[in-house]
Amino acid sequence: MDRSNTLRDILLRFGFLIVFAAFFILFAVWNPVFLQGGNLLNIVEGSAILLILALGLTLIVATGGIDLSIGIALDFGAAFAVVAMSTYDLNWFSAACAGVIGGSLVGIFNAILVVGLRISPFLATLSTFFIGSSVQRIFTNGGGPISYRRMPTEFRNIAQGDILGIPTEAVLAAVLVVIYYLLLERSIWGRRIHAMGMQRSAAVVAGIRVNRILIGCFIFAAMTCAVGGLIAAANIRMFTPLSGFSYLLDAIAAVFIGAALHPRGRPNVLGTVAGVLFLGMVANGLNLMGLNFNTKDALQGIILVSALALAVAQRTARSD
Amino acid sequence: MTDFAVSLTDIVKEFPGVRALDSASLAVKPGEVHGLVGENGAGKSTVIKVLAGVYQPEAGSITINGQHLNPATPAAVHEAGIRFIHQELHLVPHFTVTESVFMGQELLGGLGIAKREMRKRAEAFLQDNLGFVISGNRLIRDLGPAERKLVQVARALIDGAARVVVFDEPTAPLASEEVDLVMGAIAKLKLQGIAILYVSHYLSEITDICDRVTVFRQGQTVGVFDNITDDSAADLIYAMVGREIADMFPNRTSRPTQKGLSVTNLASGTVFSDVAFEADKGEILGIAGLIGSGREKLIDCLYGLRKKTAGTVALDGEPINASTAAKAVAQGIVLVPRDRRHDGLVLPMSVSENATLATLSRTSKMGLVNAKAAATETEAQIEALDIRPPNPDAITRLLSGGNQQKVVLARWLATDAKIFIFDEPTVGVDVGAKAEIYQLIADLAAKGAVVIVSSSDPVELQGICDRIIVMMRGVIVDELEATATTVDELVAATTGAASIKGTAHAS
Amino acid sequence: MQAEVSQGPKVSDLVGYLPLVIFIAVLGYISLNAPNFLTLQSLELIVIQSLPVVLVCAGLAIVVMAGGDDVVSGGIDLSIPATAVLSAGITAQMLTSGVPLAVCAMVALVACTLVGVLNAVLVTRIGMTPLLTTLAVFVAVVGVNNVITVSRRINVDHDWIVALRAEEIAGVPLGILLVALIVATLFFAAHRTRWGLNMQAAGGSRDAAEISGINVNRFVAQSFVVAAITGFLCGFFLLARGSGSSPGVQDNLMLEMVLATFLGAAFSPRRVVTLWGAVLGALLVAAISIGLKSMGVNVFWTGLIKGSLIVVVVAFSALAQRGR
Repeated sequence: MDRSNTLRDILLRFGFLIVFAAFFILFAVWNPVFLQGGNLLNIVEGSAILLILALGLTLIVATGGIDLSIGIALDFGAAFAVVAMSTYDLNWFSAACAGVIGGSLVGIFNAILVVGLRISPFLATLSTFFIGSSVQRIFTNGGGPISYRRMPTEFRNIAQGDILGIPTEAVLAAVLVVIYYLLLERSIWGRRIHAMGMQRSAAVVAGIRVNRILIGCFIFAAMTCAVGGLIAAANIRMFTPLSGFSYLLDAIAAVFIGAALHPRGRPNVLGTVAGVLFLGMVANGLNLMGLNFNTKDALQGIILVSALALAVAQRTARSD
Repeated sequence: MTDFAVSLTDIVKEFPGVRALDSASLAVKPGEVHGLVGENGAGKSTVIKVLAGVYQPEAGSITINGQHLNPATPAAVHEAGIRFIHQELHLVPHFTVTESVFMGQELLGGLGIAKREMRKRAEAFLQDNLGFVISGNRLIRDLGPAERKLVQVARALIDGAARVVVFDEPTAPLASEEVDLVMGAIAKLKLQGIAILYVSHYLSEITDICDRVTVFRQGQTVGVFDNITDDSAADLIYAMVGREIADMFPNRTSRPTQKGLSVTNLASGTVFSDVAFEADKGEILGIAGLIGSGREKLIDCLYGLRKKTAGTVALDGEPINASTAAKAVAQGIVLVPRDRRHDGLVLPMSVSENATLATLSRTSKMGLVNAKAAATETEAQIEALDIRPPNPDAITRLLSGGNQQKVVLARWLATDAKIFIFDEPTVGVDVGAKAEIYQLIADLAAKGAVVIVSSSDPVELQGICDRIIVMMRGVIVDELEATATTVDELVAATTGAASIKGTAHAS
Repeated sequence: MQAEVSQGPKVSDLVGYLPLVIFIAVLGYISLNAPNFLTLQSLELIVIQSLPVVLVCAGLAIVVMAGGDDVVSGGIDLSIPATAVLSAGITAQMLTSGVPLAVCAMVALVACTLVGVLNAVLVTRIGMTPLLTTLAVFVAVVGVNNVITVSRRINVDHDWIVALRAEEIAGVPLGILLVALIVATLFFAAHRTRWGLNMQAAGGSRDAAEISGINVNRFVAQSFVVAAITGFLCGFFLLARGSGSSPGVQDNLMLEMVLATFLGAAFSPRRVVTLWGAVLGALLVAAISIGLKSMGVNVFWTGLIKGSLIVVVVAFSALAQRGR
C-alpha cells in the first residue's frame, strides 16, 4: 500500500473522529467559554429532547424503516399532559402518564398503516405527520399555544429541576439511553430487531414475528418521543402545537451519523448519542462564535451535509 | 471450421480452487438448434459467460463465422452477432411491449423517438419472426411468462444482426402449454438460418427441438451427439451423470417406523395442486423436480412462506397450522432454505448471533442476552458441526458456503424441531462439506426426525433419501423408492423423458 | 387505453381506478356544496395557485423515474423546494440591489445547478441514499438562502415577474402557458426521446437497464440536475405567486410535492410515478385545498384530509397491485 493510500485510509477510517475533534478544538480556541463545565452541561441539557427523539428514531431505523412523525408524538405527549392538568385537573404523575399514552396513539396509528395496510413507512409516517399536524391545528383552533401557568412544581421539575445537581431532563435522557442500550444492543428483542432490519427475509425464515416487532417498535418509539414532549411542555409551561417538527431533520441526521460510525453500519444507541452530541456541540459552538442566527443556521446545514457524507463514505470505505 | 457459426475450442477457465472449464469445446452450425446439457456445476453457465465475453478464459479460442475473436469482449461478441436470452426475465414491468423491445436501441424519428414506427416494427417482428401476435401497447406486467420471454427474444434480435442466439433455460418458469409458444418461435428462427444454442435441463425439450447436443460433465465436453431422436434421452443421461459416484453418502440402517407428517390435497393457487404425501419419522423423503415444477413453492407453502389455498398438513395425526414461518417454527417445522445468503443467514451478523437467533430466549435472563452462555452454546455447536473458522464472532458473510450452511443447521439443531426441511442443502457447498452435511442429515433421521430434502441434484436425492416424490408442472407425477431407482431413472422421471418414451407427444 | 385490452376491463383494473374515482367524487361533492367552485374563474385560480407545485412535482417525477419508486432507497429529491426557494431568494435579493433580471436569473441558475450536482455526487459517488442526501441538502440550502435573504420578506414588483401572474395571452394567463410549455418539454424529453426512455428503464429495472447497456448512475445523476433546474424555474413562479420572496415557503411546498407526486402514481394507469400523474396530482390537490376553502371548511382540516387521502390512495393502490 503506497503512502497516499494510507493517508486516504486513515482519513476515511477516523475521518469523523478527526472532524469531531477539529470542531471541538476550533470552538475551544475561538471562545474559551466553550470549554467551561457549565457550557458543556448546557450542551448536554440542550440536547436532551433531540436525544430522546433520536433514540426513538434509532429503534425504527433499526427495523429497516423510517419515522417522519416523531415530532407529532412529541406534540401529542406535550398536549395530552398539559390538557390533563389544565382541563382535567389531574396530578402531575397522572398527567405525565396521559402524555405518554397520548404519544402512543401516534405509534399505534403508524403501526396500523405500516403493518395493517402495508403502506411503506415513509409514506405512512408522512401521512401521520399531515394528519397529526392538522389534528393539533383543529384542537387549538389554528395552532395557538395552550399555556398552563399554574403547572405543578413537580411537573415543571421535569425540565427545570435537578437530581443531585444534574438537570432532570439530562437524567431522563440518560435513563432512556440506558434502557434503549439494553433493549437494542443487549436484549433478545434487540437481536431480533437488528436481524429484521438487516435482512428481513432471513429473519422471517428464522421464525421471528416481524409484524409483532414492528408494531411494538412503532409504539415504544412514539411513547419515548412523548417523554420528550413532557420535557418541552414543562420547560415553557405550555403546549406549543407543531413544535416537534423542528427536531426531525436533526434526529434523522444523528441516527445516520451514528449508524455510519458503527463498525458494521448498524443504527445503534451509542452512535446516536455521539451524533446528537456532535450536532449539539456544533450548534453551541457556532452560537458562542457570535455569528448571527442565519449564518449559524446555514453553517449548521452545511456541516450536517458534510458530516453525513463523510460518515457514509467512511462506512463504505471500511466495508471493502 | 468455417462451416460453424460459432465454435469454442479447448476452453480452460479456472476460479480460485476450481477448474470450472477443463478443455471444453462447443460448436454450433448456422440454422441448427444445438443443445447444451449437463448437471449443475458441469460448466454450462461458465462456458456461456466465456462466450459472452464476461469471463476471459485461461486457454482456448473462440471463432465466430471463421473470424478468430481475441479477446472476446462483450462489445465484440455483440458486434459479431451473438445474442443472449438470459434465464431471468429482465424487463421493466411497467413498460409496453414496444418500449421493451426497443429498450436501449430506440428508433429516432423527425421529432424525438419514432413511436409509431417502433410499434409497427415490434409488432411485425414478433409476428413474422417469432409467430406471436400481440399489440405493442400491452404492458409487460400484464403478460404471461412465455409472452415476456418472446419480448425478451425480440429485444435481442430486433436489430436484425443476430447470427447466433443463446437460450439459457428459456422454459424454466413456464407451464407446459406455454412452452409451445417459445418452441414455435425457436423453430421459426432456425428457418431463418440463425444458429441456436439451447441450454436446458428439460431433456424432453432437448430431444424434441435440437439437431445436435453437446454434453458437459465437470467442465469437460464428454460427448457431441448427432441425429437426436426421442430415444436419445438415455444416452444423454448416461453421458451427463457418468459413473463416478463415490461413497459420499452415509450408510444408513434405520428405517422409518412411526407415522409423522401427512399432507393431503395441498394446493397453492395455480402454482401446484392436489399434492399429497406422507413422511414418516426417521425417514428421509426426497422431492425432485425441475425449476418451475412447483417444488420450491411447495416447500415455501409447507413453511408458511406461501399461502395455501386448499388441503391439510398434519403431524402425528394432529392438523398443524403453519400460516407463517413463525408458526411453523413454533410447531416444530424448520427450514434450511435454498437461498441461504438471502433467507438463511443474516449475513452481517456473526456466527453466534445467527446460530442463536431462534433459541435466544433459552439462555437469556429477563430478556437480556446472556452473551457468555450463548457463546458457550455456539462454541459447542461449532465443535460438533466442525464450523470453520471456529470463532463465534466471525461474520457469516465471510464464511464458505458449507460453513454457512452448517450455521443455519446449528440454529435449528438447537431447537426441538420434529420436521427438518432441506431445500437444495448442498448448492454452492464444496465436496468435503457436502459429505459432512449428508451425515448430519442422516443423523437427524436416525434420531427420529422427519426429514424432507428438496433438490435439483438427482445424485444427491438418490444417495441420501429413502423415498423420492417427483413433481412436474405443479403436480406429483411419480414416487420412487430410492434403493430401487437408478440416478438415470430419476433424471428421466424429473425431466419428463420417461413419459415421452411411453406416449406419442404433441408436436 | 381500455380499448387495447381485448378481454375487457378486469376487476383489478377497476380497483386501480378507485383512487381517481374517490378524488373526483370529493371534487364533485365540493362543487355541489360550493356553487362558485366550478366557474372558469375559480378553476383558473386553482391552476395559477398550483403552478409552483406543478413545477417541483415535474422535477420530482423525473428523479423518481430515473431512480425507481422505492421511497427510501430509490429515487427521491426532497431538496427541490429548497432549490426553488434559493432561486427566488437570490433573484429577489439581487433585484432589490438593482441588478438586471437576466443576470439575477443566470446567477440563480448556476446556484441551483450546483445544488443538483451536489445531490448527484453525494448519491452516485459517495453512495448516500437519496432520501437522506436530499433531506440534508434541503436543510443546508434553506440555511444558505436565509443568509442571502436575511430571513426576511423581499417584495418584488419587477414587470416580468408580475407579468407571470397578471399578463394574459389570448385570454390565458401567461404563467399557465409558460408552465404548460415547460411541462410539455419535460414530457417530451421523458417520454418521446431515447434519453427519457432509457432513464425510465434505469428506474424501472436496474438489471434490465444495465443488460441493455444503459449507464444507470449517469441517468440518476442527470435526473438530479434536471430536478434542480425545475426548482430554479419554480423560484420565479414563487416570486410571482407571493409578490416576492418570503421565508418558510419551502416546508409546505415539500409536503405538497411529495403528496401530489405519489398521489399521481396512484392515478396513472401503469401505477408508477409519471409526469402527467404528478401534474394531475398537483392540480387535484390544489383543487381540493381551494375547494374545501370555498366550501367554508376550516383550513385547519386540510392537513387531515390530505393525510387521509395519502392513506386511502396508497392503500387502494397497494390493493390493486396485490390483485394482479
